[in-house]
Amino acid sequence: MEGLIERIPCGFLSFTDDGQIKQVNARLLERLGYRREEVEGRPFESLMNVGSRIFYQTHLFPLIAMQGRADEIFLVLKAANGEDVGFLLNAARHERDGVAINDCALMRVEERRKFEDALVRARNTAEAAQQELQQANLRYEEQAVELELQQEELESQRKIADEANQAKSKFLAVMSHELRTPLNAIGGYAQLIEMGVHGPLTDDQRTALDRISRSQKHLLRLINDVLNLSRIEAGRLDYRITNVPLREVVKTVLPMVEPQLAAKGIASRTVLDEAAVVRADREKLEQITLNLLTNAAKFTPAGGSVTVRVSTNPADRKVSLDVEDTGIGISPEMQRDIFEPFIQVNADSRTEGSGLGLAISRELARGMDADLTVKSVPGQGSVFTVQLQPA
Amino acid sequence: MLLAHGFGCDQNMWRFIVPAFSDDYRIVLFDYVGSGRSDLGAYDADRYSSLQGYADDVLDILHALDLRDTVFVGHSVSSMVGVMAAQREPDRFERLILIGPSPRYINDPPYVGGFERSDIEGLLETMEKNYIGWANFLGPVVMQNPDRPELTAELTESFCSTDPVIARRFAEATFLADNRSDLAGLKVPALVLQCSDDLIAPRSVGDFVHQSLANSTFQQMKATGHCPHLSHPDETIQLMREYLQAPVAV
Repeated sequence: MEGLIERIPCGFLSFTDDGQIKQVNARLLERLGYRREEVEGRPFESLMNVGSRIFYQTHLFPLIAMQGRADEIFLVLKAANGEDVGFLLNAARHERDGVAINDCALMRVEERRKFEDALVRARNTAEAAQQELQQANLRYEEQAVELELQQEELESQRKIADEANQAKSKFLAVMSHELRTPLNAIGGYAQLIEMGVHGPLTDDQRTALDRISRSQKHLLRLINDVLNLSRIEAGRLDYRITNVPLREVVKTVLPMVEPQLAAKGIASRTVLDEAAVVRADREKLEQITLNLLTNAAKFTPAGGSVTVRVSTNPADRKVSLDVEDTGIGISPEMQRDIFEPFIQVNADSRTEGSGLGLAISRELARGMDADLTVKSVPGQGSVFTVQLQPA
Repeated sequence: MLLAHGFGCDQNMWRFIVPAFSDDYRIVLFDYVGSGRSDLGAYDADRYSSLQGYADDVLDILHALDLRDTVFVGHSVSSMVGVMAAQREPDRFERLILIGPSPRYINDPPYVGGFERSDIEGLLETMEKNYIGWANFLGPVVMQNPDRPELTAELTESFCSTDPVIARRFAEATFLADNRSDLAGLKVPALVLQCSDDLIAPRSVGDFVHQSLANSTFQQMKATGHCPHLSHPDETIQLMREYLQAPVAV
């Protein structure tokens, strides 16, 4: 039986409580590359790498001493050539000749060790990834909450703004209506006086009445514009969209401003794509065109020219109606503001108007899925473009 | 007599010592949280991130049992735990018996602790391979199956440590700490029991502790290794008795 221990296919080693190796079998010596006399009598822990030594002192030895055994302990032993060799150790404690002896069976676990290492590494990687994921999740959740708060804030601000705008539109509509009634009365009575219903008039009185009448008309137009804009903004305008040939629009509107243009000595030209037909509310498109032409006439000095151009973009088939003048032009800053209500390019006495024409025109254009834009060089002139949906 | 076990063990390690003193002393044994049969629910990662948390545990025990004139016996890391507790409330301690103390395990030239940081990493790796590693695979089972106490019991029997994460943190709090400054100015008398050929707490460290303590007695043991109370209980008991019977300057 003695020989059996030497030959069994695993390492065997026994040590006393003071750590001294008492016995070691040939198999273990062979595996580690030591001679018997190099090992016997030496402390068991001196065969281990440092990590295993500390583990032996803090875990393994107390375990064997307290429980009389230890199972499946992984240890790294140092071979004579310095190589680290992994072993799995089972230990049992016996009394032999009145002395406590700790017997250990040691199995090499090189392949399993690699496998375990890979598992542990994989687990660590997975844990790290999971942690990262959790942190990323946390960050996203925080951001989502933040965004939601911002959105709520925006939403409530938008609601407040909408309500304020609606209140304004309602106020303007009511006020405009209340103002028109007395203004119509002023106009009517001025007309009656002018007709001599209340007796003959002197020339001076007639001149004064004419001024009253003109001022009344100006004020009425202004109020009408305000009323129109507030109606548009309140969304209370109906659009009757039909196929509208643009040449007909130009033919209807241009003659309305020709007397004005002729009076100032401004040339008018038309460059028309005769075939252009658009989807629009004809009446409103005519109003937009009239506004643009009236503005062109107003802001173009004598000797200048106004051109109406209708063209089709071959790429998206969108149709443009341009009104181009050689007037005073609009600065880049003004181009941003010009479509806002009550803004005028040059609010001097010569250019009367409410400052609502362009605001109304753009609102009308947008109401029929079109748009109104401007390009201008100060001192050279402006081009206002209505971009329309093709029929 | 309050006996505090070391890292990797539990109160069972005092079993050869206790009978020798149980006639003359009231014996108090305990397991640190995460060791032996302690309540894992009491674990607090912050509290136990340094040895101070363990020292607070010792003070909690002294308060709960209203112990005074205590003989504190600490093994290994518990030596420093006892020193830290005695610094806080010296009046509750009569004497300290420090078995294999080390205030710092990692070398810090000219101080020699015996280890490099990479050695401690080697220990963590060995722990990992022996129970932290596979217990982590089982870990969720242990931690999340309070209805299967046999899993915990199995781990306890194998390694005295019920939770791999706690064991790892305890190892870090023990081996990566520097508690040298806690030694100075301690009034409580202390016995340093120094083993022969102790890898964990070599002679130079024992000398350092003895020199740093104001009122200490140094005993070189014949016992080898790091656990003389397990490997050489007779010598350990004898040296403890001699120290406890001798008068000390207070």
